[in-house]
Amino acid sequence: MKMKRNYYEDVQMFTSGVVLFWFLTLLTGLFLLPLVVKNYYVYVANYMAINVIVVLGLNLLVGYTGQISLGHAGFFAIGAYGTLMLMVKLHLPFIVALPLAALITAGFGFLLGLPALRLEGPYLAIATLGFGLTITQVIGRLEIFGGREGLHAPDLTIGSWRLDTDIEFYYLLMVITISLALAARNIVKTRVGRAFIAIRDADIAAQTIGVNVVLYKTLAFAVSAFYAGIAGGLYAFVLRFIEPEIFTLMMSIMFLAMCVVGGVGSMMGAITGACLLSWMDLQLRNILNLPYIGAWLESISKTYFSITGVSNIQFIVFGLIMILIMTLEPLGLFGLWIRVKKYWKTWPF
Amino acid sequence: MKSKSVLGCLVLSVCLMFGFNTALAEEGITDTEIHIGQWGPQTGPAAAWGSVARGTGAYFQMINAKGGINGRKIVYHMFDDAYNPAKTKAGVKELQEGTGIFAWACGVGTSPGLAVIDYLTEREIPWIGPAAGSLHWITPPRKHLFPVYPLYYNEAKALIRYAVKEMGKTKIAIVYQNDEYGKNGLRGAREELVTHGLNTVVEMPVELKDTDMKSHVMQLRKSGADMVLLWTSVSHAVRIVGTSRAMQFTPQFMSTSTCSDFPLMMHISKGLWEGVICATFGELPDADDPLMKMYKKEAFDAFAAKDERWGLFYYAGILFVEPMVEAMKRCGKDLTRDRLVAELEKLRDFKGIGPKISFKPFDPNDPSSRQGGSQTFLIQCLKDGKAKKLTDWMDI
Repeated sequence: MKMKRNYYEDVQMFTSGVVLFWFLTLLTGLFLLPLVVKNYYVYVANYMAINVIVVLGLNLLVGYTGQISLGHAGFFAIGAYGTLMLMVKLHLPFIVALPLAALITAGFGFLLGLPALRLEGPYLAIATLGFGLTITQVIGRLEIFGGREGLHAPDLTIGSWRLDTDIEFYYLLMVITISLALAARNIVKTRVGRAFIAIRDADIAAQTIGVNVVLYKTLAFAVSAFYAGIAGGLYAFVLRFIEPEIFTLMMSIMFLAMCVVGGVGSMMGAITGACLLSWMDLQLRNILNLPYIGAWLESISKTYFSITGVSNIQFIVFGLIMILIMTLEPLGLFGLWIRVKKYWKTWPF
Repeated sequence: MKSKSVLGCLVLSVCLMFGFNTALAEEGITDTEIHIGQWGPQTGPAAAWGSVARGTGAYFQMINAKGGINGRKIVYHMFDDAYNPAKTKAGVKELQEGTGIFAWACGVGTSPGLAVIDYLTEREIPWIGPAAGSLHWITPPRKHLFPVYPLYYNEAKALIRYAVKEMGKTKIAIVYQNDEYGKNGLRGAREELVTHGLNTVVEMPVELKDTDMKSHVMQLRKSGADMVLLWTSVSHAVRIVGTSRAMQFTPQFMSTSTCSDFPLMMHISKGLWEGVICATFGELPDADDPLMKMYKKEAFDAFAAKDERWGLFYYAGILFVEPMVEAMKRCGKDLTRDRLVAELEKLRDFKGIGPKISFKPFDPNDPSSRQGGSQTFLIQCLKDGKAKKLTDWMDI
């Protein structure tokens, strides 16, 4: 059996050549994707990538630090509004406005981290929920943010490169998403990540061995908010238009669901969970086009449901899939993966 | 051997180019089909408006049953966006780039519409009759976007004119939702009052999430208003009328077309909506109008699902696309997007079941070249949820 012999082996990014190989294959695949699929799927990929960024950040908070947030749509909104406001009002270029807005979001994350020092579990959930709901109310009431009429995104340029199409935006998004994913992995593997995990597992014990709980809990919120802020700023350019009502409670819940379905406390879980749920969110309405199943669902809906039944069916299927995953494997998609890997490694036993 | 593969490549590329060229024929049109798309919330917060999209569907089925448009059948692609702009954009892209849509019809909601407005404009895809009375559609006017819904601004003017001239009201208050929708109403009301030498006695904003209306009604009562104009959502309008009744404040209430589906309003308000005057943009459900009767019989009775109601939103789905269907008919067999736009621009006082519709040749500086309807008429709610027509179609 291969043993780790020193610290650097433990923190290195790629644990083996196989992992590196698959990582590079994935990168090539992502690079070639827009050349082989229809433009629509590039848009879907963009939508997924944005959710991946949010869930990566949320996973640092929920999965690694053991805190909870039902207010991530609020951070998402701050990122989106912040980026557009900095670009429109202060005429900052996109590459400055996006990280700056994300830093502002991180500031809000820090503030929300303060009550989290004294609150746990359901109480923290309610506090963050309140934050998420309040943010959209505040934004909606301030004329400077366009009120309920919302804001239009300006043209997106980086230097002299004008990003007009989904494909151009896709490449930008991929660079950002992959960098943030690597950054998240780096955080988890090093001192900060170990502090997060120590707090999650037993915060009193962590404090005893010298982890600064105040610093790391608020830091977890700030980092998580930073990710949501970046994602929000990018989302404003996917839609090219934002208004407060977009950032609903449902959105926060979806982020959390992506995190949990993927598997809390795992990078890969965060990524797969975000991809699967965003895919289902956009594509499940096509379930009625499937052979046999589609016709069957439609007949059920026509017999037992009201006139809008057909479209409600997709949400029922959505719910069923989530329940199934969680019942079969409480660790989510990541748990399934672990099982497959174990089975494979120990085969035929 | 080598020359053979070169030849093969050549043949293949010629085939590809040829295939590409034929695909360039008008998108969404074949010899037998016209592909029309629409989004509409069937789930989520705005699901009540979903009947617009279903109404359009029944209307297209009726047209197909009668042989289609110049020999072509309409293939209708409707999808549920749950009033979520990200989903609207995804669905529009998927249908546009997958199936190929000739033109888009209606589409409920300002914010879902704004998420796709640039996409459709850039690709020069016609979009007719967005189902929301927003000024966004005509500021600036866009060549391929044809709004039909009358502006809330005009409705407010019509209501105030009636209140002042016919009912002799002088102390007029307005409660408006604090967004574009409410402010359009507010602006129309103010401007009309000024022409009569009057001012509002009180103007009160309501936020979407406000639930308690007591303080609002208190202020209204204190102002001594004898007419209150409600430019809010359905639920707020009902709450204000209810709270006023409980506080024994009984002015004449007036409201917008959004609240003019009387059977629905009477149901929600448990009968309190009686006597309220509303502006509206479509004939009444039981109107003695030959077109309405025909639609009721041949579209609704024949094709609607069993729980469907013949209400304003449902036939609004017909009303918003009537100009589109008329223009497509006038195009004849040679249907292209350019011709559709040209024929729409030629519509003058076109009369369906809604206001008269006129468009003009495109002028980027003239919003009225694209705002189709400017007429409205007023109705009053009766005890049984029926409507009494107070005025004929008014030109504002």
